[in-house]
Amino acid sequence: MVNENLVKDVVKEPYKYGFVTDIETEKIAKGLNENVIRLISQKKEEPEYLLDFRLKAFKKWQKMKEPDWAGLGYKQIDYQDIIYYSAPKQKEKISSLDEVDPKLLETFDKLGIPLTEQKKLTNVAVDAVFDSVSIATTFREELAEHGVIFCSISEAVKNHSDLIEKYLGTVVPASDNYFAALNSAVFSDGSFVYIPKGVTCPMDLSSYFRINSGDSGQFERTLIIAEESSSVSYLEGCTAPMFDTNTLHAAVVELIALDDASIKYSTVQNWYAGDEEGIGGIFNFVTKRGKCLGKRSKISWSQVETGSAITWKYPSCLLLGEESVGEFYSVALTNNLQQADTGTKMIHIGPKTKSTIVSKGISAGNSINSYRGLVKMGTKAKGSRNYSQCDSMLIGDQASANTFPYIKSQQPNSEIEHEASTCRISEDQLFYLQSRGIQFEEAVSMMVSGFCRDVFNQLPMEFAAEADKLLALKLEGSVG
Amino acid sequence: MQIIEKIKTNKSFDNQTEIQKICLDKLKSSPLPNPKSEEWRLSNKSKFSNFLDYSLNEKDQKFDTPFPNTSQSNIRLVIGDNCQINLINENYSIKQLSEDKLVKYIKEQISCFDQNENWSDLLNLSLNCKKNTLGLKISGSEIPPIEIFSHASSNSLNAKTLIIFLEKNCDIDLLQINLGKDNSSLSQSTFFCLEENSSLNHGVVSYGENKSNLLNSLNVIQQKNSEYNLGSLHFKFNYARFEIRIKQSEGNAKTNIKGMQITKKDEQISTYTKIDFNGPNGFLDQINKSLADDKSHAIFEGSIIVPKIAQKTNASQLSRNLLLSNLAQIDTKPQLEIIADDVKCKHGATISQLNEEELFYMRTRGITLTEASKLQLSSYFQEIISFIPVSKDKWDLLDKLLNEN
Repeated sequence: MVNENLVKDVVKEPYKYGFVTDIETEKIAKGLNENVIRLISQKKEEPEYLLDFRLKAFKKWQKMKEPDWAGLGYKQIDYQDIIYYSAPKQKEKISSLDEVDPKLLETFDKLGIPLTEQKKLTNVAVDAVFDSVSIATTFREELAEHGVIFCSISEAVKNHSDLIEKYLGTVVPASDNYFAALNSAVFSDGSFVYIPKGVTCPMDLSSYFRINSGDSGQFERTLIIAEESSSVSYLEGCTAPMFDTNTLHAAVVELIALDDASIKYSTVQNWYAGDEEGIGGIFNFVTKRGKCLGKRSKISWSQVETGSAITWKYPSCLLLGEESVGEFYSVALTNNLQQADTGTKMIHIGPKTKSTIVSKGISAGNSINSYRGLVKMGTKAKGSRNYSQCDSMLIGDQASANTFPYIKSQQPNSEIEHEASTCRISEDQLFYLQSRGIQFEEAVSMMVSGFCRDVFNQLPMEFAAEADKLLALKLEGSVG
Repeated sequence: MQIIEKIKTNKSFDNQTEIQKICLDKLKSSPLPNPKSEEWRLSNKSKFSNFLDYSLNEKDQKFDTPFPNTSQSNIRLVIGDNCQINLINENYSIKQLSEDKLVKYIKEQISCFDQNENWSDLLNLSLNCKKNTLGLKISGSEIPPIEIFSHASSNSLNAKTLIIFLEKNCDIDLLQINLGKDNSSLSQSTFFCLEENSSLNHGVVSYGENKSNLLNSLNVIQQKNSEYNLGSLHFKFNYARFEIRIKQSEGNAKTNIKGMQITKKDEQISTYTKIDFNGPNGFLDQINKSLADDKSHAIFEGSIIVPKIAQKTNASQLSRNLLLSNLAQIDTKPQLEIIADDVKCKHGATISQLNEEELFYMRTRGITLTEASKLQLSSYFQEIISFIPVSKDKWDLLDKLLNEN
């Protein structure tokens, strides 16, 4: 069918961020053992408790088995064939951005990330992470005026050790799952955010993760703490060069919201997805979880997942506080031989908690796109509510779309609603739009945009524009 | 779990049939289903082992019918009760399946069994002897409604198998009743093959007594242009598992399923369904209702599989659940696995309690809370019960359910 082929062509937008930055890096030898962990910890000049945390996690990881329940097909990962620490060589301490290697600045420039002063026009503070280390964090002084701490996690370990010791691993314990344990043992860098009581963060915060090296894994860790009555919107973007080997990315994100606090966490994930034959691409095994500890606290996840060869990601909310709210808005697009198994977990523990799940999956090519979610009402979740909606769109007759919602209730005084549907871009609809003088590509874009609207409406302005562009750029595009 | 021990040693079964041998062989290496598999993960372990604790009942048990008299026109059959039937008249014929055909068909089925998914069938077929198997071949039209009973005897494990071939253009109503007795286990496996243009209105009513257990497995193969309607009801079992597997072998078939399970005390009743569309233009409308009270646990897992060949499939699945007590729990997992792109598939799930506003409305009109709850429940039940064919009114199912609650 002519139209179907056209739709497939439209989906095939080449990956724009596949370049490699030629920069001198400091790498440790491949392989993972206790000494490697001690070495990472030593390089980062970490206190004793953190080394302990890492070693305990490593011991647990050694006893664990790689999960296979998601039914993802990928070749076995050789954990001894990965470099666990890789950092661009630069002067030890950077006092200003001028001292950052121009090549690095250029890289982030190419990616459209404004790090240099003249480009800091947008009102977004950025923490840029290159392989294993954080390169620069912008707008720090401005944020500090409001008492907001926004820095790399390594810096936080040095300067805000009490907070790290108190909260690290409290939402995602080291033994949570195989990849979280691995991350806890070897995490290199990531972002740390602390919003003090009563503060509404004056600007959006953003992290940008770039994998540059083909043989090193990226294991970043993000920790966000929102104190009473504070609020923050956090954005995350990721890209990687094109290699014909698979690179492992196993991150952990922990969010903590206290009374009346609100955290909005948005991701545009555009890691390299491998080529049409499925060679190369990032293995993206991520554990993201938020804990609504306080009363009336709120955590909202929104994500646009377009990259990675394999995605295994379930941003979740633990709703402990009374009347706390969890939200999950997701668009996942898979093409060629990509596999995505993504969804969310909403664990209602406290009374009168509410959660909303809106998931849109688009599968094209020979890809597999699965929604896997859990909604659980605990015995104390009286008066709680959940609403879930997961829709799939299929492009071509080789792609598969699966829905696996697990629903469990132990509380009669709670309500759970779930709906799912499947559709495709039909020829009738295309014909209708085309007969009204709308170009084919625009028509496809309009339909996909309409399909994803519920989610895009939830993205912050900066990302919403990007997401729209992403659509206009035929489903695969730029990242902010 | 003496049955499992027996299977492991294999020798204690006398006069094994060919089918028994094949199934025992399959079970020997791993006699129990994998408790971590998706199909068995939620199954209560102690209740399941209680199911297997009884010794196998191989004797003939006289069946004393505590049931309403059947009307003259109905055909009533009891599996295991030396059941023989051979009815041939100008419009229709109901014949016993020949031994060869029966064995051939079951062997075909076993060849595509999955150890976990079809464990209940494997157990059933390895325990069952000839006299507890009923195989029928039905053809023609204007066939009187049929009622088929399977029952368990106290303090024993009973295995019954039913195989029915519906020939082309055949149209029947069939009510299957599974009865549990005090401290008993019943393993019921049913195989239907619906040939082209045939239609089956199937009712399954299973109810037990104190501490009775049930493993009820239903396998249906639908050829093109066939229609299969199922209304099912399971209640009063300490442990019950209802597995439905339907395959539309060439597509172009219609399937309607309306099922309900009611759990009380510390009972666990689960329903697993797998609908496989193996050709284009398939249709499915499924609704499953659960009601869980006291400390009970109700489970529903339904999967719809739409491969590339099954274009223009129209499938919907709805799981509606009522949770009436703080200590009860409900697990539900409706799932879709789709590859064909030109399909309409949807599913939905809800868990809630009785509607408080409606209750309040009725109470303001002078209806007591108990009566108002009953009214609401009766409308909840009625949708399913009205779908069960053959003399359902005589069974007073609604009364049985309402007075229980």
